[in-house]
Amino acid sequence: MGSSVVGAEATALISRIHEETSWSLGRRFRHAFVSVVARAYPRVIGAAREPSWLFFDLVFPILGMCSIVFLLRSRGVDEAWIASTILATALLSFWISVVWMMGAQFHWERDSGNLLLYITAPVGLGAIALGMAIGGALGVVIRAVIITVAGVLLFGAKYQVADPFLLALVIFAGVAAMYSLGVCLSSIFLISGREADHLGSLLNEPMQLLGGVYAPVRSMGTVGVVALGILPLAPAIDALRQVAVPQLAATGILPVGVELLILLVMTIVFGVIGRLLLAHIERIGRSGGKLLARAD
Amino acid sequence: MPISAGSAPEVRPFGPLRGSAADAARSLVASARLAWAIEGNWAEPIYLAAFLIVRPLAFLGLFLTVLSIGGTLNVATIGFVVMGQAVFQIVSAALEGPTHALLDDRERYRTIRYIFATPSSLLPVSIGRSLVKASIAGFSALIVIGAGVLLGVPMRAGGPDLLLLMAVLPLGLLSVVGLGIVLGGVCVQLRNDAWAYPQAVSSTVFLLCGAIFPLEVLPGPVQGISAALPITWWIEGLRRALLGTTSPGILGSMPTKELLLILAAGTVIIWLLSPRLFVAGIDRAREKGYLDRNTAS
Repeated sequence: MGSSVVGAEATALISRIHEETSWSLGRRFRHAFVSVVARAYPRVIGAAREPSWLFFDLVFPILGMCSIVFLLRSRGVDEAWIASTILATALLSFWISVVWMMGAQFHWERDSGNLLLYITAPVGLGAIALGMAIGGALGVVIRAVIITVAGVLLFGAKYQVADPFLLALVIFAGVAAMYSLGVCLSSIFLISGREADHLGSLLNEPMQLLGGVYAPVRSMGTVGVVALGILPLAPAIDALRQVAVPQLAATGILPVGVELLILLVMTIVFGVIGRLLLAHIERIGRSGGKLLARAD
Repeated sequence: MPISAGSAPEVRPFGPLRGSAADAARSLVASARLAWAIEGNWAEPIYLAAFLIVRPLAFLGLFLTVLSIGGTLNVATIGFVVMGQAVFQIVSAALEGPTHALLDDRERYRTIRYIFATPSSLLPVSIGRSLVKASIAGFSALIVIGAGVLLGVPMRAGGPDLLLLMAVLPLGLLSVVGLGIVLGGVCVQLRNDAWAYPQAVSSTVFLLCGAIFPLEVLPGPVQGISAALPITWWIEGLRRALLGTTSPGILGSMPTKELLLILAAGTVIIWLLSPRLFVAGIDRAREKGYLDRNTAS
């Protein structure tokens, strides 16, 4: 029979427990920050240790880019569209990362057993998701740059960027909105079970079409206008085209400022929804005992 | 009780090609049924149908919107892209199918070891899985062709050239399944990104085979590689059989008899080599212990 804790000893123990578990706001932020950095780290450093990942991350988009460029050349279109295609492919590499490295990530983590570790660790799923997003975005930047340089070298594309700050702002806003959506997708993929892989496939080509990635979203009519309001790819690529390829500015469906505002709103809205969805899957995962652990 | 020599079980040589032709046929049928259960049973039928319809149509829409940048599209151009896009649904499924089936069995379902413990052979199992994947993709191909008809693409006057179709379709299908088998034998030996290689090959073939643009757009030396691919001639043969038209450039200038000859020769060469390469790949994977590992990729 163990000895009981009484009196001053019990009071000291209680105050110690309070001290260790009742974190100040500052400590919570520091802890969340460390968690975000810890999850982002393998996304950047780990990826650099696997050259084959870099190879395939580049091969697929570049092959796709070549197909579109040759298709455009078979029609003899203005070379400005080739420049636009290269930029679109670079932006698309972020979207692919959002679908597979954000959306499908928790699904894969569940199958590999890591998701249970996340739940048992003193880390919130929100910090994990934010770390995945920041690490993923940083990891893709280098790929996007290589794709752009390769496109310029292969096809001789030319850009006239009058305002580099605006260009950087458009890219940043577009990427932020996409990864914010990715946080929502991570929960949706996890709930969708074995349909997750197919869901990921459905978010590629159909979204490229709806987002007006290679052709102006205007060509999609009303559907394109709706896409501008719900799919980050659409305003991001439309704004990017206007800023980096001035010859195509007339194809823009909205002014760049408005599209930046749309992207900002998307980042906030998707972020809030994503946070709620993460709390939801954690709750039903704990109560049901199935969602967070691998099936076998 | 003594065991007589006459009642001893038949000893089968080990390896992917062990067993009789009957065993192989049974394996092929069983694996095809299994593949259907896997491929057709991952979702409610309505979701499966939506997936099989939405993605290929989105692909087609993507290419058509890009083409429309160059001005109004004529039905001949739409027909060219529609047919190439439709056939390539089958090509990519058949190319990627065997590798994904092998890797699924090894890493996801962890059943590849049990196939070795039965009279089944991995070669017919892989072919069966590949054929079912190609057949399901065939449904998507029909959807794409149907969309083309709705867009006004004129099909061949008097209906499809059935003789040409019956010659071209099996030859092309066999050639892509053969190539897929080789890829499976190679990829099962890889440590990293084995899943990604078939898709990389498929994407490269898509670029080279004149599915959506004439070969003349490609740089000169690359056109030679394109002409060496049986898939290029398969797509052209199907365009002739279904649309009744020929492609622009060197593909269109080839007489149909010669096209068939090239396709047949390519298919024969592929099937002379692919089983051997597959067997060699699986044997090596077994020797190295790769058939029981999980790359977690």
